[in-house]
Amino acid sequence: MIALETIREKLGTVENWVEGRGALWLNPVGLSVREVAGAMNAVGARFVTITAYQLAGNEGFRLEYHWDLDGQLLGVPYVIAGSCIESIFDLCEAADWIEREVHEGFAVDFTGRNYEPLLLRQGDKLGVNLRETGAADKPASDVQGPKEVTK
Amino acid sequence: MSYKIPMGPFHPGLEEPYKLDMICEGETVCDAELHIGFNFRGIEHLAETRNYFQVIALMERVCGICSNIHTLTLCQAMEQLTGLEPPPRAKYIRVVMAELERLHSHVLWAGIAAKLMGFKTMFMTCFALREKVMDVLQAISGNRVNYAMNCIGGVNRDIEDPIALVPMIDELEREMMRTVIPIFTTSSTARSRCAGIGVLTHEKAISCGVVGPTARASGVPQDLRRDAPYAAYGELEFAVPVEQAGDVRARLFVRALEIIESCHILCHALAKMPRGEISVGGDKFSFVTGTATSRVEAPRGEVMYSVSWKEGSRNPARVHVRTPTFANMPAVRWMVRGARLADTPLIQASIDPCYSCTDR
Repeated sequence: MIALETIREKLGTVENWVEGRGALWLNPVGLSVREVAGAMNAVGARFVTITAYQLAGNEGFRLEYHWDLDGQLLGVPYVIAGSCIESIFDLCEAADWIEREVHEGFAVDFTGRNYEPLLLRQGDKLGVNLRETGAADKPASDVQGPKEVTK
Repeated sequence: MSYKIPMGPFHPGLEEPYKLDMICEGETVCDAELHIGFNFRGIEHLAETRNYFQVIALMERVCGICSNIHTLTLCQAMEQLTGLEPPPRAKYIRVVMAELERLHSHVLWAGIAAKLMGFKTMFMTCFALREKVMDVLQAISGNRVNYAMNCIGGVNRDIEDPIALVPMIDELEREMMRTVIPIFTTSSTARSRCAGIGVLTHEKAISCGVVGPTARASGVPQDLRRDAPYAAYGELEFAVPVEQAGDVRARLFVRALEIIESCHILCHALAKMPRGEISVGGDKFSFVTGTATSRVEAPRGEVMYSVSWKEGSRNPARVHVRTPTFANMPAVRWMVRGARLADTPLIQASIDPCYSCTDR
């Protein structure tokens, strides 16, 4: 459990880890997801996934980031009012596909990175599968085509 | 001069549809890009439209090989939301089913790998052995693929005479030790096709976050059965095979050793199975509002479910599935770099990919 304390120290947070239904959760008050990803990298935690939930009404999304530390599942939830959050792909290679999947499924934009189609195809509407959209909220953009592979 | 070779989405070298665009110079692969999504069925969205019985049957169909693992992970998450604890006997039956599934998955993979090596006799041998595992699964559950064993709070069927299954497991282990494992580990054909190809370095395995035998073959000693025990794994003794080379041969060795470990776990679990109830659930369940996560070590690696529920609802608000191939597949790009074009079908098969799982 020393590593858990190391994460808190590196982040400079006063929040404690709280156990809840399969994971230890840390409330990231005032911390960006990139700061958390950096701290997880520093202690050797393995990135597992991001789970996205759309909040009721038009209140945005809850993104739960998960890491594994020696068999202990760690969770860090972020509630975003709009549909943008910083990408951690450059800090954490393993986050590439799940960021692309959440982008396609919920039309959440991970800023600072480019996308290629993962499960959808060129011309499909972003968010078509999992995002509930009102008329005013309809995501307009389409999935872009794959880039040409070059050496 | 470099040129592009597209492999897939439908190709004799692939068992399931995906696409690998490879940039080659001569016979050497310089880079590659992966495309998935050809099996996309929108199962996570469908799950939100199913009640707590139907969603178990639906998620059993995420994968045709590790169907039991998906219901086990889902049921464990739903048990956290209902406050139910499966009885000890049910936990042992869950272990037996999970290990039988691992056995038939690994033996199936060995057969596919043998075919891709050009070793078709071994393909037939592996599939004949797999039939014996399938017979045991059918004897327990009545089914060969979707076993419908897991329910909220336990399992649906008992193993009435666990000790009677031990000779079948012993025979399987003897046959694996006598034929499959020696041939895979000592034959010059297997060595020449597998050694030193498709290398995933330890550093890259950690960076990509790969799981299961793919990680353990690159020297990453992670296994949820030992590191975060679920069901009855905490009461059973077993080893976690780890290899350091990171090549196709190392992945083959890890799975071969895991077959033997699975046989030991099965014999141990069948002999130690406590008497008692197999389920504490009924036909009505009360869920609390919230989210639960559950993880299980599937044959290909870690499966994780996040399940969200609203109190009073019969349907989940959200079911998110992170499958092992989804974590392992991006690493194929690094495995095929520098490989010979002819080796790429075997390299991609060496992670034991499942696109049905990945695309969901």
